[in-house]
Order: sequence, then C-alpha cells, then structure tokens
Amino acid sequence: MASASISKGTAQSRKHWDRKWIPYVLLAPALITIFVIIISPLLTTIYYSFHNIDLIRDRTTFILFDNYIELFTSRLFWKAVEINLKFAAIVVTVPTLMGLFFALLLVEDFKGRGIGRTLLILPWALPWIVIGLLWNWLVNAQFGAINGLLYSLGLIDKYIPFMANEHWALIFTALASAWRQTSFSAILLLAALQTIPEDLYDAAKVDGAGMRARFRFITFAWLRPTLTIVLLYNIVLGFLQFDAVWIMTQGGPGDATMLISVLLYRYSFINFDLGMGAAVSNVLGLITMGVGLIFVRLIYRSQSTYA
Amino acid sequence: MSGLNHATGRAIARKVLTYFSFFCLLFWVGFPVYYMLITSFMDPPELGAKPPNWIPQQPTIENYREVIIGETGQRGDYGTTTEFSRMMPALLNSTIVSVAVVFSNLVIGGMAAYAFSRFDFRLSRAAYLGVLMTRVLPALALIVPLFIILRKIGLINTLWALIFTYTIFILPLTIWILREYFDTLARDIEEMALIDGATRWQAFRMVVMPLAVPGMIAVGVMSFMEAWSEFFFALTLTNSLTYPPLLMSFRNLHQVNWNALAAATTLGVLPPVIVAFVFQRYLVRGLSEGAVKG
Repeated sequence: MASASISKGTAQSRKHWDRKWIPYVLLAPALITIFVIIISPLLTTIYYSFHNIDLIRDRTTFILFDNYIELFTSRLFWKAVEINLKFAAIVVTVPTLMGLFFALLLVEDFKGRGIGRTLLILPWALPWIVIGLLWNWLVNAQFGAINGLLYSLGLIDKYIPFMANEHWALIFTALASAWRQTSFSAILLLAALQTIPEDLYDAAKVDGAGMRARFRFITFAWLRPTLTIVLLYNIVLGFLQFDAVWIMTQGGPGDATMLISVLLYRYSFINFDLGMGAAVSNVLGLITMGVGLIFVRLIYRSQSTYA
Repeated sequence: MSGLNHATGRAIARKVLTYFSFFCLLFWVGFPVYYMLITSFMDPPELGAKPPNWIPQQPTIENYREVIIGETGQRGDYGTTTEFSRMMPALLNSTIVSVAVVFSNLVIGGMAAYAFSRFDFRLSRAAYLGVLMTRVLPALALIVPLFIILRKIGLINTLWALIFTYTIFILPLTIWILREYFDTLARDIEEMALIDGATRWQAFRMVVMPLAVPGMIAVGVMSFMEAWSEFFFALTLTNSLTYPPLLMSFRNLHQVNWNALAAATTLGVLPPVIVAFVFQRYLVRGLSEGAVKG
C-alpha cells in the first residue's frame, strides 16, 4: 500500500488506490462465510467418507474406500437407487409436461387468466413441509380428500389406505413433489413464452405456416433452452427431495419410499454412522454435480448455436 | 360462408378447450389447498363425515382461536391441551429469521456482487465461479460437519444458527442475480459521479442502488421465501424453533387434532403466500433470472 500515501491528491490516483483493496473488503464477508459454512463442511464430508467414525469411543480410523465398497455392495443402497429412479421419473415428467400445459394455457388471452397466473404461484409459495402435510390430508385413509372425492363420485365404497401400499406411497410422495414443482416449471416456461415476439407468428402466418408448424418452429424452438433448464431442475429435485417425503412417509411403508436422501438421513442421524453417511452424501453430490455439468455444457452449446 | 363457419367453429372449440384447461388448473392447484382450508374451519367430529362435507356445515373459527392462544382441545375432543402453545413463538421466530436473512443477504450479497461487477482483481473469475459452483451442492450432504462447526461456535439451537446458514446458502443466487443487474446499469454515469468528486459509496447510493431496486426486491423476496420454508437445517440445528420443524413434530404426535393442525398450517403459510402475491412480478423475474442464468 505504498501508493496510498502518495496518491491522496488527485481523484484519478485515488481511484487507483481504491481499486486495490476495495473489492477484497467487499468480498470478504461473503467469501469467508461461504468458506466456513459450505466449503469446509464439503471438505470434511469428503474426509469423513474415507474414515470409520466411532462416536462412542470417539475414534476415527482411516479405511480408504471401505465405506464406498460397503455402500456399493449393500442391497439397501441399490434398492434406494431403484426407488429413487422411479420417484425421479415421476418428478421429472409430471411437472415438465403439466408445467408446459399450464404455461401454454396462461399465455392465451381469456377471462380468468390473471386469476390463473396468481393461483399458479400458490403451490410454489408453500414450504415443502406444508406440501407434505397437504398431501397427507389428501391421501389419508380416514378422512382423506381423494378417498372422499372417489366416494362422493361413487367410484369406491370403502376408503383406501393409500399410504399402507408400497406403490401408492411412492406414487403419492412423488406427486406431492410434482405438485409444487409443476408451478415452478410453469412459471419459468410462462416467463419464456411471454418474450416471444408477436411478429414471428405474423411472419409465419404470412408464409403460410399452419398452427402445428407455428408451434413446432416458433413456440417450441423458443422454449427449448428454458425447457432444458426446467428438465434439469426437475432431475436435481428428483434426487435431492427429502422434506416432503420425510413428512409423508419417513421412508415407509417398509422401505417403499426410501430415496437416497432418506438413506443418507438414516445413516447419519439414526445409525450415527457418519462415515457411511458421508459416503452417501458424496455419491448424491456427484449425481447432482453431474447433472449440473451437463446443464452448463448444454447452455454453452445452445448459446453458440442459437446466439 | 362455410369457411366462416369453419373459423367460428374452431374459435369455439378453442374457447372450450381453454376453459376446460383452466378448470384443470383451478382443480390441480385449488383442491388440496381448499381441503386444508375447510378442515381448518371444521369441528373435529365433522372431519370424519363420509362422504366429506365439501362445505363445512357449521363453520367455526375455534381452531384458529385455540392455536393463537395456544390451548387446543378445550372442547374435550383430544387429550393434550398445550401442544400447540409453541406455535405462535415459532411464527415469531420464523419472522425474525426471515427478515434478518433478507437484510444480511442483501448487504453481504450486494457488496460481493458489486465487487464482481465493478472491479477487475486477481482471481476474480475463479472466485466468482467458485461461488456459483456452491449452488449445486446438496445442503443435505453438508449437515453433519456443519452441525459440528456450529456446535463449536456455540450456535446450536439458536436463531443465529439459522440466520447464518440461510444467508450463506442463498448468497450464491443473490450474487448471481445482483451482479447481472449491476452489470447492465450504465457504468459511465457512476464514473461521472466519481469524477465529480463523489465517493464510491455516494456513487453507489445515489446512482447504482436506485436503479438496482427491482433486482434487490426480487432477491429479497426469494430469500424471504427460502428462509421461511426451510425445514432440514431447522430440524437438525435447532429444537424446532421455527415453524416448519414444529409442524413436523405435530405430525408425529399420536393423537393430533387435525383441525387445529390445519389452522396452524394455514396461519403459517399466510406470510409467504402474501409476500408471493404482493411481489408476484418481482418474484417471477427473480425466479426466471436466477434459474435460467444460474
């Protein structure tokens, strides 16, 4: 900072003096706290995953890949992977398709559009925990709304205990997640739809393009980057969802809704096997990072081809 | 003539389809929420009705009153009477945490975003990418070491633990969005103010900040929603101090008064829902900018 004492005079040199330390001071709070709260736990998790952590005897032993080997050879893990893939399949397809459907609807000009757009935000504004409770009410075997509705319509004469059934439990936990994610997807897609210039359609009409062609070559082409992003967000949610499933089933009945995240919770907070918990964390982290990387690459490619 | 008929026929078909789809939307979004609302206005015995009363026969606000004063089950329907007494303090705690997160996030994130936007310094690009990378990390995966760190600092089971973690986890998104805003704001006006003898802070306050207000509102609203809704950290780092983990604890009771739970849930979602509706425009903008570019 030798220049500091010399440069007090002119505005020009004061600016130079500014530039040296101001950005570091401005960044310090963010970078330091991110390091303490995010980066250092991340490094610790990686460290843990190569150790056996005995909480009772307070002993940490280095065991290299043993946690990972145990994980990858355990039936429980592959079961969780299989369940999670089914769960993710619903969480990816339902919100993407329904989100597209609602977005296309709400870009139309009709009475009630304003109400529709506002209502669309509602599920997104609800915490995951409330989504879980809400869907518990829907599927409850004694007073659930879905049972009530089917009964009112005369489709069933006895209430069905949905959540005692493995398949229904998985489907409904996935639908609960899809419910909120549909709104998120629709909001993003609607925002993208609203930016399509009207003259594109007019020009296409003049050129004699039919409705189907206009949809395919204008609407769909315009939406493609956003659709890609929506898809990736939904995939990530499919693997990271925990809250709503935890409140609805806690992984049950049996292990029917044991997602990888639920398995992680069980290892870390029920069995207190921190080493295994960390190994599951890292596998989960790698899956989402992988998705994240695909995502970045796709964005790069779409920018270079379309822009 | 027939061509015209064909056209009106198609217009009508389109209208029918539009309103049918609109009905689907109303049902999809409205049905679950409506059921929670009517449950919250019912007396416990009415909940068991088969088929359900889709409109409460004797609507009551008793559930809300009981949750607010913290004494449920006075009507002798259920055993315990004080289980909901933690609800109002939890709502207050959630409010404190959310508001604190909004402000600390705007200040810390705003400073960092401004630094990234206006200064070229060593490792600026690397630091920026590093900050953004933290967004794809699953929070779930970091909880154990985070718990240990916070216990060492002595913040476990305090609101500080939540304010601290929420602020930092939302920082990358904030920095991303605000940087975009700062980047688009004309640099020359700011430079002119600097040459006229304004300090950096004055230039920031008089020139940059007013123009960045929409971005700051968007970020503020999003961090409010995030802080209000967060469940997992609140569950593991505190003893149900805030609203989401407390709701979960009711779910685990053996004999829970579902109607009071519905009322408590409704009360607790009012703040984020109101914020979302009032700031709808900013929220949509923040969401799509944060998602599409991040």
